[in-house]
Amino acid sequence: MWLLSLGGDSLANPSTYLREAVIETSNLVKIYKEGTIKAVDGLNLKIGKGEIYALIGANGSGKTTTISMLTGSLFPTSGEIRVLGLQVPKKRRIVSTRIGVAPQEYALYSDLTVEQNIWFFAKLYSMDRGSFLKRLDELLPILRLNERRKTTVSNLSGGMKRRVSIACALVHQPEIVFFDEATVGIDPVLRAFFWDYFRSLAETGLTIVLTSHVMDEAERANRIGLMRAGKLVEEGSPDEIKRRNLASSIEQVFLKLSEGAVADE
Amino acid sequence: MSKAKNFSPSRVVAVTWRVLTQISRDRRTIGQMIFVPAIIMLIFGLVAGGAAKNLPVLVDNQDVGYTISAGQNSTSLHFGNSILSSLQLDDRVKVHLGSFASGKAGVDNGTYYAAVTFPANFSMVLFLRNTGQSLNASVTVYIDGTNPTIEATVLAALQSSLQNTFGSGGVVLDEQFAFGGVQFSGLDVSIPAVIGLVLTQVVLLISIITLVKETTSGVLSRLYATPLSAFERLLGFSFALLILGIGMTCVVLFIGLVIFGAVVQGSFVLLFFGAVLFALLNIFLAVFLSNFAKNELQAVQMVPLITLPSMALSGMLIPVSSFPGWVQTIAQFVPMYYANKLFEGIMLKGYGIDNLAPQFIIVGGIALLFFVMAVITVKDRMPD
Repeated sequence: MWLLSLGGDSLANPSTYLREAVIETSNLVKIYKEGTIKAVDGLNLKIGKGEIYALIGANGSGKTTTISMLTGSLFPTSGEIRVLGLQVPKKRRIVSTRIGVAPQEYALYSDLTVEQNIWFFAKLYSMDRGSFLKRLDELLPILRLNERRKTTVSNLSGGMKRRVSIACALVHQPEIVFFDEATVGIDPVLRAFFWDYFRSLAETGLTIVLTSHVMDEAERANRIGLMRAGKLVEEGSPDEIKRRNLASSIEQVFLKLSEGAVADE
Repeated sequence: MSKAKNFSPSRVVAVTWRVLTQISRDRRTIGQMIFVPAIIMLIFGLVAGGAAKNLPVLVDNQDVGYTISAGQNSTSLHFGNSILSSLQLDDRVKVHLGSFASGKAGVDNGTYYAAVTFPANFSMVLFLRNTGQSLNASVTVYIDGTNPTIEATVLAALQSSLQNTFGSGGVVLDEQFAFGGVQFSGLDVSIPAVIGLVLTQVVLLISIITLVKETTSGVLSRLYATPLSAFERLLGFSFALLILGIGMTCVVLFIGLVIFGAVVQGSFVLLFFGAVLFALLNIFLAVFLSNFAKNELQAVQMVPLITLPSMALSGMLIPVSSFPGWVQTIAQFVPMYYANKLFEGIMLKGYGIDNLAPQFIIVGGIALLFFVMAVITVKDRMPD
């Protein structure tokens, strides 16, 4: 249950503890086999139901690694993860039925049509044809893919592929979706559309976790977690963060917090 | 700014430098450059090092000999023994002794390549012929004609033993062909082996590329976060590839049997079943190998590493019995060796399941082994 409704940035920040936490990590660490660097270094996250949470940071700061661990695709070196109250990766198969993922790549079958791609993922979530078609009729107009239903994915533009990828992540009506760099390489019009869409989804109680390395974009999220070298260096609502750091934009905060360190991660 | 020249040697050098630097960073390609030729040359060298050797042959020497009495002196002639000992010294054949009937049975079931018998009156007839009578001694050879190289080698060994004993003439070889009395054409004989080779090449290549495509498309990272288990994915792939494999088997058999008109003495159904089973073996091998290939290129590079040594070691070019002992041992681990025996057995020798059960069990067993290995090594999450 979420107790505060989210109208926009003007609203007071709903603190996490007021919401039912759907994602929790404690001291999450990931060290890849090849290498000694901690890709994720002691991460403590708490994300509430219906929140739009943006993990931001430079390339290589550990955002994707974090998302991969939260979805159970990558096993942590140490630390604990709970998603929807279930331990991950231990219960990842159960969790996987209730989450959706749109990875950084389009991650689609380019030889299949839009509908076939979405159908394949619907089948993985054990959806029957009837409820799939019903869902498709909801999703395609919203994502403006209606006319592309029978188009082979390889013939789509980047932005369209991105929307198909999002449709694949949403087809089974998950409780949490993870969008890894979902708005990269997308024109401003489409980006604005995406954010409106994300907000409307969050209003229905869906939790959205997204990553971005475009700092200003993240200002549209309810809360932001700023990552650097695998660590969460700042967290809060965009306004909170800007106030605390006496900055006018998140980008300024980011530059300030990265001061002295070249983004070489 | 100086004007760009039409042709610049330094730009050529830059490209050369860049290509060499790139390759020097790619350990797998360097490995391939060194090990692949080494392995393939070694295997082919070992296998093709000699002509066919040690071909198992059974000799039934019925010759009772002939004693010539000239006054008090008597000389005993025993040409059968002479030929036999000459044959025993010939390394092209490995002589076993026994009854002609058991030898024929041995040829029929693949134990021997030929059964040879000298009649009881062999020495006598040859002696009388020498005294001017127009007689011819005959040696009966019951021979496996399913491999012209082997057939020719066995006959050549026999001929030279006869010549060592008599010079030329006087002995007629009564050749009887096993397996329906057919003397096969080169095409008939090579098609069973070609079926095995083509199935391996095509099925491996198509399967492995299909599998690796998913890894490179990035879909895998999405699939890891769905309820689809690695085992389900692997099984789903295997079924799809099996259907493709059956299609490829049909094409291969159609071309071999209909277009080239290759002989099938045994059951077509059994041949089809055997070919599909062998295709399945290669599918599972591909599923296993795909777990280690990062991209299509690496996958494609693996295929000749399987097909070329298999071709050499399967006995397709030179019979396995001619290999050095330890190479023969290695050949026992090559699936295509059993596939060749299967296809050859069904097509040329007309064998049924009773003769070929061991080969079927081995091919099926190896297929199962590859499947288990694939299941064990399949990744169900991103690399740690």
